[in-house]
Amino acid sequence: MALLVDFIERYHSIAKRRSFFAIVFFIVAISFVVISLGFGTYKISMGEAFDALINHLTGNVVNAKDDLYVWDVRLPRAIGAAFVGAGLAIGGVVMQNLMQNPLAEPYTMGVSSGAFLGAVLSMISGFSIIPALSGDYAVVCNAFVFSLIPVALITVVSRFKKLSPTAIILLGIAVMYVFSSITQYMMVTAESESMASAYHWRVGSLSKVTWDNLPFLVVFVTATSAVLCACYKKLDIMYSGDRCAQTLGINTTFFRMFCLIIVSLMTAAVVSFTGTIGFIGLVGPHIARMFVGSKNKLLLPGAAAFGAAFLIIADTVAKVSGINGLPVGVISSMVGGPLFLYILIKKNKKVWN
Amino acid sequence: MSENLHSDSLVERYHHLTMRKLLVLVVSVIGVIIVVGLFSVSAYDNISLMEAYRIIWDHIMGVEYEPRTTEWWADRFIWNTVMPRIVAAIVAGASLAAAGALMQALMNNPLADPYSTGISSGACFGAIVALVLGLTITSTSGQSGMIVNAFVGAMIPVGVVILISKRMPLSPAALILVGTALSYFFSSMVTYLLVITDADTLQNAYIWQVGTLDTIVWSSIPMMVVVTAVGSAFVMLLTRQLNVLSLGDANAKTLGLDVEKFRVVCLIVMAIMTASIVCFTGTIGFLGLVAPHLVRILVGSDNKFVVPISMAVGSFILVLADYIAMTISDVPVGVVMSIIGSPIFFLLILWQKKGYGTVY
Repeated sequence: MALLVDFIERYHSIAKRRSFFAIVFFIVAISFVVISLGFGTYKISMGEAFDALINHLTGNVVNAKDDLYVWDVRLPRAIGAAFVGAGLAIGGVVMQNLMQNPLAEPYTMGVSSGAFLGAVLSMISGFSIIPALSGDYAVVCNAFVFSLIPVALITVVSRFKKLSPTAIILLGIAVMYVFSSITQYMMVTAESESMASAYHWRVGSLSKVTWDNLPFLVVFVTATSAVLCACYKKLDIMYSGDRCAQTLGINTTFFRMFCLIIVSLMTAAVVSFTGTIGFIGLVGPHIARMFVGSKNKLLLPGAAAFGAAFLIIADTVAKVSGINGLPVGVISSMVGGPLFLYILIKKNKKVWN
Repeated sequence: MSENLHSDSLVERYHHLTMRKLLVLVVSVIGVIIVVGLFSVSAYDNISLMEAYRIIWDHIMGVEYEPRTTEWWADRFIWNTVMPRIVAAIVAGASLAAAGALMQALMNNPLADPYSTGISSGACFGAIVALVLGLTITSTSGQSGMIVNAFVGAMIPVGVVILISKRMPLSPAALILVGTALSYFFSSMVTYLLVITDADTLQNAYIWQVGTLDTIVWSSIPMMVVVTAVGSAFVMLLTRQLNVLSLGDANAKTLGLDVEKFRVVCLIVMAIMTASIVCFTGTIGFLGLVAPHLVRILVGSDNKFVVPISMAVGSFILVLADYIAMTISDVPVGVVMSIIGSPIFFLLILWQKKGYGTVY
């Protein structure tokens, strides 16, 4: 009896600690949004940036230049970074649960290669899926539509054939190769200038986020995350394997396809605005897992907050290092590559067979 | 009586299979010869196909022409413009295909290829450091510095994989995953270097990454040939052990093969073979993956035959791809390879049997 009481107490203390971490991540993420306003190529101190923000909110702008940089350039970018990071991390958590695979991530189904093909088509050959659009809007639109092709294909195939998680992952890889062969052809035949801009697009940057396009991003990420978070219990069950989940009353095939489509929509929205920022979707969930555990009720918000905080920091470093500095995509994958190796060696004896 | 009949049909089937192996080999060799002729004609249009073969033959036999005759010019054009890339394509095709067959047998995984342990990204990193920053190991600039850099870069990931496998025994899937992780790391650095450079260097670097035979010169050929010859002879000697390995690690051990040691030795050989090609040509994809599969579909999976026939088929595919790349659209051969290779890869995945998905 004493043992049981002890056990329950320990369980509660662990649960408390985990919720504590989740809350800490949230506070950190929000405070980073504000702190990051003080960093960038335009020199302004943290206090001044904060003043400019307050001044704008209260309606009396003192210094127009400060206001321009803080309110019109840095704030949307910081909020964008927060939502992109949060969205990719949630996508990663969901994918890892759905595929029962610690190495799954939002790009596993080929979203990124589809987006890149769409962007390249528009940037190099001027092709636009909606003929009325041109310039940046055409790039975004193309990237969005093309990034949904792989998941559409997987959905079609799954109508005819029962697909295991492994088969879905492999199909995603195959689609990725086919898409990238077309991309490669376009890239090598292009003018070096437009090829360079396409390459820069792929590396990923948050500099294109402005007040104009931020609402799309926010609405998309919020809506899809809300749907995914509402399924947290089912996601918990999915990780225990298809058979268990079926015994517990989940239509696994339907649920998996449903979630894949939602994740793809979210990832497509993120990628088409920012380019393919890698590794947050893979590594974010794993790091959050170390602090808040694997229960999706806490992991989903915890990972979202961690992803947001991580991407804001990475983007701040990118901003400070200037135009010729480190792009945010490179920062995240430089941190992510070694972490990936670490996760492989330490955390998942399972994948070692 | 019926037993006799049965064994007769067995013998017949055996002969039939042997014929098929010979046929595939002969077709690839003839294919290579035809493409060589087409290549030569495209280098110097004033000669016919037959004349082109005669000129090549004469050159090999050491016949000298009168200076400034048509034949003399044709000979010079063929020998200085297209012949280096033809020879390079033949050697690279053979080498990458042999390395691919070796990797697939070693990893017991049909989706493995010579680049699975991160060789390609390491080589890219080395080459692009030379191209963008001008830093070379030999401190010589230009082409030769880049080649040495790429070679050394290619060996780094394999070195790390082998170091890790000394500490703990790694399963084939784990080897591939470690390779993937290393290649992520190298790619991030490559990406960084390519983002900070100017548009023209970026394009050159990108083309190198895709793989091209445009830049091959005669001086690169000897090393490629020697390493390929020695490496493939080594692989041919080990085909028996590779066949044993296809039964799985546990069975191979029972049959007396030191699996871990064998795998490390083969990985080193494979790495040197691949690196010696990649450092000259850039990372040409899919060949090492696709050629052995085509051969297995045609002649079965006994490595004694798969390795040599893959080499012939690999040469044929690469020479043909290079010809298509040069004549039709003048793009790097790597692009043609990935346009041919990626649909085949797609089909391989759709058709693959269960249990192969060990990578994920």
